[in-house]
Amino acid sequence: MTRPFGVKGGRKRKHAEPKYDAHDEEEEEETQPKKTVVEVEHNQEEEEETPAPAPEDDGLSGIPIAPSANNTNKPNVIFILEKASLEVAKVGKTYQLLNSDDHANFLRKNNKNPGDYRPDITHQSLLSILDSPLNKAGRLRSVYIRTEKGVLIEVKPFVRIPRTFKRFAGVMLELLQKLSISAVGKREKLLRTIKNPVTQYLPINSRKIGLSYSSEKLVDMDDYVSTVTSNMDLVFVVGAMAHGKIETDYTEDYVAISGYPLSAAYCITRITGALERKWKIL
Amino acid sequence: MAKSSKRSVGTSSTDSKKKKKNKRSKKFGPEGVAMKVKANNNNNGTASNPFESIWSRRKFEVLGQKRKGEARRMGLARSLAIQKRNDTLLKEYHQSAKSSLFVDKRIGEKDEALDDFGKAILRSQRERQLNMKLSKKSKYHLSDGEEDDFEGIDSLGRDDFEDEMLPDDVDAETDEKLNLVQWSMQIPGEISADDGEENRHKSKKEVMEEIISKSKFYKAQKAKDKEENENLVEELDKDFTSLVHSEALLSLTEPNKMNALKALVNKSISNEQSNKDCMFATRTMGNSVQEKPDDYDKLVKQMGLEMRARPSDRTKTPEEIAQEEKERLEELEEERQKRMVAAEDSSDEDSEDSEKPSEQKPRSISGDDLGDSFSVNKQIMTKKGWVDEILERRDEKDSASEDDDGEDSDNLGSSGDADEGSDEDLDEHEKDLSLKDWEQSDDDDIGADLEDEDDSDEDIETASEDLDEVKGLDAAVHIKAKRNASVESVKKDKDSSDAKKIDVGGKQSKELDIPYIIQAPKTFEELCSLVDKHSNDNIILIINRIRKSNPITLAAENRKKMQVFYGVLLQYFAVLANKEPLNVELLNMLVKPLIEMSMEIPYFAAICARRRIETTRKQFIESIKQSESSSWPSSKTLCLLRLWSMIFPCSDFRHPVMTPVILLMCEYLMRCPIVSGRDIAIGSFLCSMLLSVFRQSRKFCPEAIIFLRTSLLAATESKHVSDEDSQLYHLMELKALKPLLCIHEIVNEISPLNFFKIIDMPEDSSFFTSVSFRASVLVAVVETLQGYVNVYEGLSSFPEIFLPILKLLNEIAEQKNMSNALRDKIKDVAELIKLKVDEHHTLRRPLQMRKQKPVPIKLLNPKFEENYVKGRDYDPDRERAELRKLKKHLKREAKGAARELRKDNYFLLEVKEKERSLQEKDRAEKYGRAKAFLQEQEHAFKSGQLGKGRKRRR
Repeated sequence: MTRPFGVKGGRKRKHAEPKYDAHDEEEEEETQPKKTVVEVEHNQEEEEETPAPAPEDDGLSGIPIAPSANNTNKPNVIFILEKASLEVAKVGKTYQLLNSDDHANFLRKNNKNPGDYRPDITHQSLLSILDSPLNKAGRLRSVYIRTEKGVLIEVKPFVRIPRTFKRFAGVMLELLQKLSISAVGKREKLLRTIKNPVTQYLPINSRKIGLSYSSEKLVDMDDYVSTVTSNMDLVFVVGAMAHGKIETDYTEDYVAISGYPLSAAYCITRITGALERKWKIL
Repeated sequence: MAKSSKRSVGTSSTDSKKKKKNKRSKKFGPEGVAMKVKANNNNNGTASNPFESIWSRRKFEVLGQKRKGEARRMGLARSLAIQKRNDTLLKEYHQSAKSSLFVDKRIGEKDEALDDFGKAILRSQRERQLNMKLSKKSKYHLSDGEEDDFEGIDSLGRDDFEDEMLPDDVDAETDEKLNLVQWSMQIPGEISADDGEENRHKSKKEVMEEIISKSKFYKAQKAKDKEENENLVEELDKDFTSLVHSEALLSLTEPNKMNALKALVNKSISNEQSNKDCMFATRTMGNSVQEKPDDYDKLVKQMGLEMRARPSDRTKTPEEIAQEEKERLEELEEERQKRMVAAEDSSDEDSEDSEKPSEQKPRSISGDDLGDSFSVNKQIMTKKGWVDEILERRDEKDSASEDDDGEDSDNLGSSGDADEGSDEDLDEHEKDLSLKDWEQSDDDDIGADLEDEDDSDEDIETASEDLDEVKGLDAAVHIKAKRNASVESVKKDKDSSDAKKIDVGGKQSKELDIPYIIQAPKTFEELCSLVDKHSNDNIILIINRIRKSNPITLAAENRKKMQVFYGVLLQYFAVLANKEPLNVELLNMLVKPLIEMSMEIPYFAAICARRRIETTRKQFIESIKQSESSSWPSSKTLCLLRLWSMIFPCSDFRHPVMTPVILLMCEYLMRCPIVSGRDIAIGSFLCSMLLSVFRQSRKFCPEAIIFLRTSLLAATESKHVSDEDSQLYHLMELKALKPLLCIHEIVNEISPLNFFKIIDMPEDSSFFTSVSFRASVLVAVVETLQGYVNVYEGLSSFPEIFLPILKLLNEIAEQKNMSNALRDKIKDVAELIKLKVDEHHTLRRPLQMRKQKPVPIKLLNPKFEENYVKGRDYDPDRERAELRKLKKHLKREAKGAARELRKDNYFLLEVKEKERSLQEKDRAEKYGRAKAFLQEQEHAFKSGQLGKGRKRRR
């Protein structure tokens, strides 16, 4: 008798959401047009000023500068963190990001296994991805996080993820409730929830590699990466969960990169290390 | 539920529909609805809307979240809304065409929970209330309703009475007794009087009585309270006194305070005594205590009388110390003069002697003519035993003569003023003049000296040498040793002078001829005459006494005097340094007072130094134009340069005196042609002096290095001047470098050079060509070079500076005539240079392309709140947030209202449609009926059976 929700809800949201967004933007633009303009000008000034004194401050202006590598038209890398346990619950009177340390009793009361709620894995993985020289060199296109509940989050490569877990939890909590996080002092969205499936965001000419300890194919990451053709984008799918394995239909290849079960963060470190060596990023 | 509804249906069939509606609206929850649905199905079997059983579904399951409208049923809500419209909108619609309206205002009819009996009770209650009101309004009011007949007048009266008494009862809760009396009074009156008017009168009386009784009661109450309080206070006092007299408190509190406490207690007791006749014993005791002098008071008084701690003597300021010193010297001088006078005319000058202190003392104490009264230096020395009146006259004369002397002193005075004042610039010219005067006089002296030299050069040569050697034995100043030991020698001087100072006390009897208070000499001649024919120690003593008798810190004029004296002393130093047999010891001793004085008057000292430097440089330029004469600095210049480098800080980046001094020395090194061995000796002395200057600041001095290199080049046999060498020497005015230092014979022993001796020697002395001289100069050069190597080891261009020298050194070391000691020394330095050069070479990095650091992508911080709550506006601008909230609310409301209106319209349209269709149907029916009738008639008419209908009716 009941009608499937998706049909109705989806259509409704389609109409409602963009409208709301547009309205919001208009409103905000109305309220603070001056401010944004000033900021933009300021930024431009900064950008103009900063490169000018750079060659002189060494005091070696006579010595020619070695040509810097150009970054355009180079293959990029995408990371997908599958099965991340980012879940918001109402604990007491406030909403909190569930983690196994603080909410063990709460989870047990609700017949959940506290061991499954590990947002810290996601935090570590994100830090190791975004802190890598690979990212600093601009070779990371983006990071996608798919939570256990099926929420897909896009993380821009230029986010500075909070270092402490508590603050990270704050960001994720706000993200899951507000659906997007913008930058400080800018309107640019750094984190936002997007529609499934993730495959629609992946580049066409890309190789999607899933990482799994249970895979039969044990490879040396350096060798494996070197076999990939140089103009191909790489997509690595890593599980950000405590137990279990990733099950995705879009991965072409499942590889194990160590004989031992690795943590997600270390696994990512290996991948980025191999890519840095391949692409000569120091 | 079902029961009640059933009953309601049963009882009032007209309201059944309405009640059902009410029930619906009341039962909102899903359970209620379900029950209702069930009941409907069971009982009535009315239409159960299947859509009402559709439930809304939650989109996301959020753990721990309990939403209010969790179980929402869309269909049910819809039907409820329709029902609501039926209740309100439909009624209004129906009423809209009507002019009046029937309102049901029956009591209790709206409340379904009541049954008939309850409704009846309500009605009766209401009736009573109404009656009560009426009775208050007018006594003669007759109710026109039938119900009033039930209740008699008696009941009404009783009701009235009760109502009246009720508030009274409430008011007088406190004084029940009085009330009781009142009751007793009231009730009979009430009973006796059944008339309303009488009743009223009495009540008035009652009120009055009541008020009176009340006030009485309150008064009584107050009195009672007071009594109780007093009793309590008494009891407390009793307890306290007993406590005081007990030992427990005594032991706890201090004995001294105890007495005071007791006195306090007694006082209170005595106060109480008027009321009560008790505690005789304590009173007597208290009296005895009061009469005794209180221990505590005693102690307080004692403390008041006690001695306070006294501050110790404060540390003396420099001014005070100077004052004391001066006073001590004055006393000594006084004594000395007394003794002198006593020695000469002990018998006849007694009276004057007695007069003298009386005159002098007030003078010395008065601050204005401090020191002026003691300008007796020479006069007293030469003509001893002058009386004091003459002394005064002398003073006047002195001042007059000073005035006569010319501008010199005046100028100096003005310059001294300028030193303190702000108008320095204005006086600069005058100052210049005065300074120039000194210079000229100094130069004159030099000239004289030079002439003397010319005259008696050859005659005295040998003698002076001997003399020098005699002096040199104890002075023993070598070229290098002088540099190193000069500071030490100054120290030594200080020590020795200190020792002398101490000795002065003991030797007073021996050195009676030096006055204790000496007026500062104003001209060079004065000073010369002062210090003439004194030994070195005594000269220093005189200078010290001059300084002490005119301390700058005490009086403003003393500053001027000391400035003049400083100039004179510097001149004396210069002249002394130029004298043919150098008095090295005296020079060394003079350094200390000069340094100390320039600490006191730094500005003036700097000006003097600069003037002298300027003139020296002018002379130097003049002398270098005449190529035949040697332009190397004289001993005077050298001594002055050395003095300044000791007085002023050498390590300053820029210094008004030291910078020109350094420049001058460098110019000497660069421009003076090296002709003889003496030149090389002087040059190496300059180099060592520069080294001592640069040791701390580590500034690079290419002139000294080049000179050292040149002198080393002079030591080589082969006269090769390669390209790089010529490149190096383009700065120097080099003229025919001869192998002046080339050693041809083997020297066995190398004696250190005595620089002052060399300075004294004439240019063409054979000593300068001797091998031993050459060897010792070479040693000096090499050692200076070592010093430079140590100082410049931090320079990054070290290898480029010292590598050519290393080559030269190696070459010299290879020479066959070298003595072993010399060779070792040279080799040591060469090795040192090599080591340092290698170090620098290893540290050097090759030139490479500058690498630009890779620019990382710019990171952005996410904006988030610490404790995010969904729905809260985190805009920092409160007003804007508020406005946005209101806007949102308004929009939502507007939307809601539009939606409701739209739905209302739909509803009304439906109703109208229904009505219309009903009307249509009705009309159609009517039409059909009429048509049927007509048809029947027609049929009858046509068929001719007219009576059929009638038949049937019947």
